[in-house]
Formats: sequence, structure tokens, C-alpha cells
Amino acid sequence: MAEDEKDKNPEIVGFCCSYCTFKASEMAGSLRMKYPEGIKVIEVPCSSRVDPAFIIKAIVEGADGVFVSGCHPGDCHFIKGNFYTRRKIAALKEMFDAFSMKDKLRLFWVSASEARRFIDKVTTFYNDIKEKNNEREKA
Amino acid sequence: MKTGIFICHCGHNIKHTVDVKKLSEYFKTFPNVTVSQDYVFVCSEPGQDMIKDAIEKEGLDRVIIASCTPSLHGPMFKDVLRKSNLNPFLLRRVSIREHCAWVGNDVEANTEKAKRLILAGLYSSAHHVPLEEKIVDVKKSALVVGGGVSGLSAAIFLSKMGMQVHLVEKKSELGGHVRTLKGVWPAGRDGKSIVEDMVRELEGRENVEIFTSTTITNFEGFFGNYEVTLNTPQGEKKLTVGGAVLAIGFSPFDPSIKPELHYGKDERIITTLEFENNSNTLQLPEKPRVAILHCVGSRDEQIGKVYCSRVCCVNALRVGNALKDNYKDSYVESFYMDVRAHPKGGEEFFEDTQEKGVLFTRANVGEIVPTPTGVIIRGEDTLFGETFEREFDLVVLSIGMSSPEDCKLIANTFKIALDKDNFFMEAHIKLRPFDTAVKGIFIAGTCSGPKDVEESINHGRASAVKLFGLLNLGYTYVDPFISYVDPKRCSGCRMCEHACFSNAIKYDEEKRVVHVEEAACMGCGLCNATCPSSAISLRGYIDPMIDDEISGFTEAI
Repeated sequence: MAEDEKDKNPEIVGFCCSYCTFKASEMAGSLRMKYPEGIKVIEVPCSSRVDPAFIIKAIVEGADGVFVSGCHPGDCHFIKGNFYTRRKIAALKEMFDAFSMKDKLRLFWVSASEARRFIDKVTTFYNDIKEKNNEREKA
Repeated sequence: MKTGIFICHCGHNIKHTVDVKKLSEYFKTFPNVTVSQDYVFVCSEPGQDMIKDAIEKEGLDRVIIASCTPSLHGPMFKDVLRKSNLNPFLLRRVSIREHCAWVGNDVEANTEKAKRLILAGLYSSAHHVPLEEKIVDVKKSALVVGGGVSGLSAAIFLSKMGMQVHLVEKKSELGGHVRTLKGVWPAGRDGKSIVEDMVRELEGRENVEIFTSTTITNFEGFFGNYEVTLNTPQGEKKLTVGGAVLAIGFSPFDPSIKPELHYGKDERIITTLEFENNSNTLQLPEKPRVAILHCVGSRDEQIGKVYCSRVCCVNALRVGNALKDNYKDSYVESFYMDVRAHPKGGEEFFEDTQEKGVLFTRANVGEIVPTPTGVIIRGEDTLFGETFEREFDLVVLSIGMSSPEDCKLIANTFKIALDKDNFFMEAHIKLRPFDTAVKGIFIAGTCSGPKDVEESINHGRASAVKLFGLLNLGYTYVDPFISYVDPKRCSGCRMCEHACFSNAIKYDEEKRVVHVEEAACMGCGLCNATCPSSAISLRGYIDPMIDDEISGFTEAI
């Protein structure tokens, strides 16, 4: 993909828990809600399955942003998997901050029934990344 | 490796925003891809035969189906592979409908996205390995939660089909709301006699156990062998059931939420339910003036209930009819938005009511003000665009249905989802209206949305049949997505042991490595993400699979 073209349309990789956010994304699709094509999701059994190495790999290989999304705290199918995710992502964010790319990573909670919330969260993330990319281009 | 890619048009659903022909041509150029085809409906019988033929003729060892979301038709496509003597875990589903075709409008961008999604699936499928499915016995017993008409009809059907039924009711008496209805429309039969007939039928059956005044305190386990803990008046009781039907009903809307209606502050303002129960004791003058308000607690954005409650229009019509029958010279005015007399015969009933002399005024009622002489209704006539103010002797509020009061508790206990109105959510509103996202748990009656008595009974029966279909097989497949350890790589740091919350990882002091107790592993994959030396992996979601899936998204084409 050409560099200038890429700046216009960010590529975002999302890791979605199969019990909640992936279901919400399915529902968003069934309800014909729209979100940008740049957003692609990967199904994981639990948000705690997401190895920080996956996130780093996606960023290194050229993704403009990565989001991890799981069940609301307390609602985890595996009881407390999402608490581990929260701590893991917090630590990773600190590391990303050292490279001034904290904005490229986002964690949010979307339950299986919250298709609207899923759309809101991913499109806001997408637009924020797009804005940052444009700013960088101008600078 | 011989991979077969099958791309579904899904009629027009995928085809009209994704160039499926271009995709199937594109993937033909890949060295590992033996078959790349697009087809109108891959899930149809000819579509399934096409996959079977390709597996047999070409000797495929990986199958990629790019179609709807994996949770839809998953077991069916797995069966196709089983019938062709291919391990079902060599199947890879790529969602290009819910995650691509339906969420974007631009054909070019969508085709590009679908290409990426299939590519990721193709890369990832290279790491799929045949896995051994576990077959688990299913207990042929069912839990029915709620003893209203839908719960009762579900319990009767399940017991008739030979399942052991445990019916749990929170209240001391079975029957739910229908027990309190005087005449169930259209036959006008007493609600009490309807439920008592059903209860009698149920009580006479040997394989039914009824728990009244009982609540559910815990529900855990997996399909086929759910463990339930009940809090009965006799103390705690534990049961093992194969599945459950949830029929916890609804709560009548409480009009006191809307202060402008002054409900509960004046005895001349009553609900349709109160009218029904107290119609004999109402003190009305010879020529009463009565107002009936439709859509109280339905189709109201201010209180966040935009849905139609479906039954309240007929209830309002019944009130009008009863008044006209009992008081010939009464003045009855109905204030409505639309009259939606859904059920069979509803429209005729509406016309009859009009002929009897009930006036229908399309209006938005602003407020109800009780005064010593009468109750004043102020509002706007939406056909004439004029405001009005009229005095009545009685105001009947046709209340709608709200979500059941225990909805959040039950949803949490059974780990099922609620929709935006706090009713239970169906797995699919059209294709799977009785199922929930959790296998073996079905919903019946008004807890999934407003329904009348007839619909509730049918919903209960349908859920019973669906549950029977699952339980009667006697066995179920369990996904073998559990962790395993490569002892050669394990350094014995025991990080995973501390992370695992189901205590499935045990440390071997002698060999200084860990191992996974398969029965306890829940398959979350936390240990896999925690292990610093990549020694522990979650079957079905191993590291290279996800790594290559990311590559499919990000690499330059």
C-alpha cells in the first residue's frame, strides 16, 4: 500500500473476546450498522488470550492502531480474565508511551448486546487515529 | 497442503457489496489453494455437496468457508467435514457478511477488506491441526424458570416428550399474570381456569417436580450438565440439568414513573389491570364519562420505552367494550396514537368497539389533573392540531409491558444477554428467536419482548421442542480448546500456575515443569499469553495462528 494512501485510511486491528465484543460486532453487522473498512477484528476466546506480542507485531507490521475489547469488568466468562487484560494493557501502554505511540493502543469493554457501543468505540478510535495521522503529515 | 476456499454470495447479501467473482479468481493464484469457488448459498444442500465433492475429488485438507459469521451454521459445516472423513477443526470460517458486506457500502473497499479477511483465514488455517472432539453425555432433564403460561406450556411439552422437568417459580402459586385476568381475549375464558387446567395436567405427571417460592442462587457448568442451586423453602437444593427454558415473564408498567399522569394519587385514575380486577366495585355514576389512554409506557421516548407492547390496544378496546356493555349511556373516549390490534380478529374487534359508540380521538395527552368534580385531561388533538381540555369521571391507563424485575439477576446467573429494553436477547431475531447465545438455554414468553397469551403459550412450546431436540440426542460435542504444555520448552517459572484461575495448571516438583489438567481447563488462553518461553499453548488459538492472521491483515499485497 502506498504511504500517502495509507495515511488517509488507517488500518486497525482489533482483538475481540468471543463471548462479548465479537458477538456485539456480529450484531452490529446484522443490524447493518456501518463502520470504516479499515477496521478488522480477530476473534480470541477471552481478551486475556491477547499476548502483548500480538499487539506489537501488528503495530510493527504497519497497523495504525490496535484495540483490545473484552467483557465489562466483573462479567468475564472466565471470571477474571479481563482484569488481567486491564493490567497487561496498562503496562503495555506505559511502554508505548516511551515511543510516543500511546494513542495507537486502546482497550475498551463492550458486552454482547452493545452493538451501538461497539460502533461508537471503534469509529471514535478510527477517527482519532486518522486525525493524529493527518497532524503528523502536516508537521 | 491443499486448501479449498468457498465464497458464499448469500443470495444478494454478500454479492451486492463484495465482488465475489473477483475474490474467487484472486485466490486461485495461490500455490496452496487447490479449489477456489464462489456459490450462491454455500449453506444450501447443493452447496454442502459441492464442498463434499471437492474434498473427495481434490483431497482437500483445509477448508475455508467465507460466508456469514462463524457462530451461524458452525455445527452444520463441521458435520459436512465429518461426513467427508475430514477433521472438523480443519475448517476455517471467515465472516465476510456481518464483518464486511453488511458494514460497508463501497464495493471496492469491501472487496479489498474481504480479500484481507480471507487471506488472514488462509494463513491462519495452515496452522490448524486435527483435534479430537470430546463427546459428553447429556442429562435428559430440563429446568423451567417461571410458572406463567409460557413456562407451564414448556414444562408440559417437555414432560410429555419424556424429559425430567424441574419447574421453578418465585411466587407461592403457579400461573403468573394470566391467573389475575378475568377474561382472556378473544374467547373470554377466565385466566384462572386456563392456568389451573395446565397446572392440573402438569401435577398429574410423574416426571415433573414443581418448586414454588423458590429462587435460583447459582447456575454453572456446560451444556448437558448444568449445575443448579435452588433456594427452596425447605432449604438449599442442588440439581443437574441438561438445559433450561427461561420464562420469567414481564412486569406491568408502573405509570407513577410519569408524574404528569397523577397515577396512584387519585383513585379515579386506574390501570387496565385494576379495571379488570375491580370492575364490579367501581363506583360510577349513571352516565359515566370515561377516558381510556393508549400507549402508557409504550412508544414513549421520554421514558426510554420506544417499543410497542402489542397487547395494550386490545386491552383498551376490551375496557371500552365492557363499559359500553354495562353502562348504555356512558361516554367513553379513547385517546390513541395508532390502534394496533395485532392478534387474529383484532381489527374486527376494533370496528365492533367503534360501532358500540366508543369515541376514538388521536391525541397526545399532556397531563391528567384530578379535581374535586372530575378528572381533567389536557392534550393535543393531533388530527385537528388543536389543544383540548375535557373532564371525566374515570381515567383508565392502558399500560404496557416492561422487562421483568429480575431480568438483570437472571441474565447474570445464566450469563445471557439483555437487549436495550432489558428483555432477554434472542440469538438471532429471525432465525433463532427462541435461542440465547448460551447453548441449551432458551427463552420463552414475554421475557424476550411483549407477547399476548396465545403467543406466549406457543413460544413456550417452541422453546420446549428446541430444547428437546438438543437433549434427546443424548450426547454433545465439546470444543477441545484447552491448553497443553510443551515440556521441552517449559522452564518451570510457574507464571502460568499463578495466572490460571481455574487451577488447571499443576507443577511437577520432580520434572520441574508444569502440566495442564484437561478436565479443569476452561480454555481462556491466559496462560498462553503469560508464558515467557511460549511453552504453553491453547489448542485452536495457538500463537502462530493469530500471528499469521495479523500478517494477513497487515502485509503488503
